[in-house]
Order: sequence, then C-alpha cells, then structure tokens
Amino acid sequence: MTGQIEQEVKRETGTGTDLWRVIVSPIVWAVHFLFCYVYGAVYCAKAGRDASLAGPTVIIIGATVVALVLIGLSTLHLWKVRGRSLTDDDFEYEHNTPEERHRFLSHVALMLCVLSAVAVLYVAIPMLYLTSCR
Amino acid sequence: MVLPAVGASLLLAGCTFEQSALHPAGRDAQELSGLTWFMFAGAVVVWAIVMGVTVYAVLGRKRRRTERFADLFILGGGVAFPTVGLAILLVYGLSLLPNWTSAQAPGLRVHVQAEQYWWRFAYELPDGSRVETANELHLPNDVTAEFVLTSTDVIHSFWIPALGGKMDLIPGRTNLLRLTPTKAGTYRGVCAEFCGPSHTFMAFPVVVHDADGYASWLAAEQAPATSGSELFAASGCAACHTIRGVAETGKVGPDLTHFGRRSTIGAATLVNTRENLLAWLADPQRIKPGAAMPGFASLPETDRAAIADYLMGLK
Repeated sequence: MTGQIEQEVKRETGTGTDLWRVIVSPIVWAVHFLFCYVYGAVYCAKAGRDASLAGPTVIIIGATVVALVLIGLSTLHLWKVRGRSLTDDDFEYEHNTPEERHRFLSHVALMLCVLSAVAVLYVAIPMLYLTSCR
Repeated sequence: MVLPAVGASLLLAGCTFEQSALHPAGRDAQELSGLTWFMFAGAVVVWAIVMGVTVYAVLGRKRRRTERFADLFILGGGVAFPTVGLAILLVYGLSLLPNWTSAQAPGLRVHVQAEQYWWRFAYELPDGSRVETANELHLPNDVTAEFVLTSTDVIHSFWIPALGGKMDLIPGRTNLLRLTPTKAGTYRGVCAEFCGPSHTFMAFPVVVHDADGYASWLAAEQAPATSGSELFAASGCAACHTIRGVAETGKVGPDLTHFGRRSTIGAATLVNTRENLLAWLADPQRIKPGAAMPGFASLPETDRAAIADYLMGLK
C-alpha cells in the first residue's frame, strides 16, 4: 500500500522519463542494424564469395539477443511509468503537468520499443537463411 | 512498313506469353510465380477482412465495447497481424534465395556484356574458348546455365521473365546469375534497367532447345561464315562488325557471323526480314534512337540491297 502511494507521488511529481529514454530503443535498433550489415560486409569482403556464414550467424544472433535485452529493459521501465491502457481512454492529455508529460513521453517511447524490437528481429531473420557470402 | 512490324511483334508477344513471369518455363520462375500467387491470395484475404471490418464499422449494430477490447483489437489487428504477416512473406522470400556455391559447376557458361543498346553473348566451350554471337540466346533445356554479367557503359539489367529473376550488369563489376530452363520454347529477354533512349529496344529472343537441338545450334554457330562479300568490307561495315572467317577486325558492333539465322534485327527491335533490314541499313536512328550504328543512306540502293542479301544469306 505504501509502495503504491510512493509510486503515485513519484509519477505525479515527475521523475519518469525523458527524451533520452524515448530514443534509446531506436538507437539500439540503429546500432544493431549497422553492426549486422557492416560486420557482414567486412567479413565477406575479406573471406570471399564462397565463404560460409556459420560464424557470423552465431555472432549476429548474439548481437540480436543483446539488442532485444536492452530494448526489453527499457520497455520494463516505461511500462511502470506509462499507466494502464494502450488506447489511453483512462487519461486525457490536456494539462501541462509533469505527470501528463511523463506519461505521454513514456507512451511514445513504449511504442518505439515495440517497433524497434520488431525491426531488430526483421534485420536478423535474413541471416538465418543465408549460408554463404555469395 | 517498319512500324507495323514492331506492332505485330508486340501483339504476338501479348498472345504467346513469351515474356511473362506468370507463365514460368524455368525453375526460378516457377518458384517466383508461386510467391506471386501466394502474395496475391494473401492480399485478397487482407483486403476482404479490412473491407468487412469497415462495412461493419459503418453499417453494423452499434454496441459499446470495453477498453480492453479496443486494446486487444489494436494490438491484434495493428501490431501482431502485420508483424506476423510480413514475417511470413519475408521468410517465404528468403527461402527462395539462390543457394548455390562455385563448387557446383554449371552445365553451361555464357558471358554477357551489355552495351547501349544490345547484348554481346559469348558461349564458353569446355576447352575454355568462346563462341561469340549477339542479341539471341540459345539454351539447352534442363541444364543450369551460368551468366557472367558485365557492362561497358551504363547499368543494364538482364531479365528473362519466363526463366527467372533479373540481375544488374554494372560497369567494372561481374555479377553471376544461374537459370535452369524447364520447358523448350521461345521466350523473350529484356533490359530491365533504364539505360537510355532505346532502352525499350534492347531485348533478345531466348530459344530453349532439347539437348540435340542445342548441340546442333552450337555446332553451326561455332562454324565460320562460308561466304565473303567485297561490298561488306568496302562499305565500311567490317570496321565495326565481325563475320568470322571473313572479316575479324571489327569488335565495336554485334558479331554478324550467322546473322541470317537470327529472328530479329537490332536486339529484337525488328523482325529479321529483307525489307526491315533495308530500312535499318538506310537509317538505324529512325528505328532505334541513339543506336551507335551510322545510317548508310548514302550508299547506292543496289549496294544496300546486295549487302542485305549477303547478310540474310549468312545462315
């Protein structure tokens, strides 16, 4: 009970989220994308057309797991701040208060987390189907 | 008379499906048309669902929905469905990626060099030597052919819709494409990357033979020309065109050694008839804008006729 009140107070006075938290998951997506493609390109440029991609597949799956964990941690934090409903019927963003700002930013950030997680998975899927550098 | 010929060949192309990815005659094209129909069916289902929901939303009985229902509807229809649907398409597409390695030797290797606006084809023989020809491709059925693709000027793209996917030809690079025809017949390949004013006149017939038919075609193609022509050399034709066994210095234009056996003129621009050839010799630019060949309207008509007869006789 006390914990809940504390959380409520915390929300209303506004240490919830900031712009940095909004962009952290797209940044993870961008870094993961660049890593996968740059690493793949460099590996194949050095190894030649017929080289097997077994090694890079493991590394890129590892990078994907790391990226998803980072996005997951961000999601977990935002879930606590944001509130309850996806469609936000419970809340009207009409007042200039810290709670509204934080909940709005958290809502946006949470959506970006979902998008980034899907994007990271889509970047990784082709790797499972490629067997050689050709 | 030249334009009706083009029109007739276009009409004919429409009827015989010689340039249709939906009438596959090769292994890759078969797989790709499977993907096409799968996507089309999926699109019909998605369209029906969206239209159904829209009609229901406008005309259906209004009932109060819970917030939880709205959440689930958006999550399901707006997030989960497109994510899973696109993932299925992605995986289907990826499963069609070619997965051969250089260790698996192709049954045949053809070197393809694209130039504005025609195709230089060189068949690699088992001993490594090459037989050069132009603007008409002959392939054996059920044999995997590897195309070694490059370009001398701008980016072109090599595409035989009936046999499989396309691949770019890029100056300074060598790309490899493997295709396996599965049905004998005559198809049409095209340049699929805009390369200049006569891009659309840069095509080639593709003839898929059974094994014997291909062997006899190649043997005949390999043989040098049996007759020469003084006019051909004197009029300057030989400066650009090679006729093996007769004039072998000109390398700029298409090889004409067995021109009379080809079905088209100017990279599938005109049907190969004497009349069309005379029009072409007089003024290629009028038929194919930007073609590098100069017109020979300045030659006496009898000379042009003699050259045309000579070329048509190169069987």
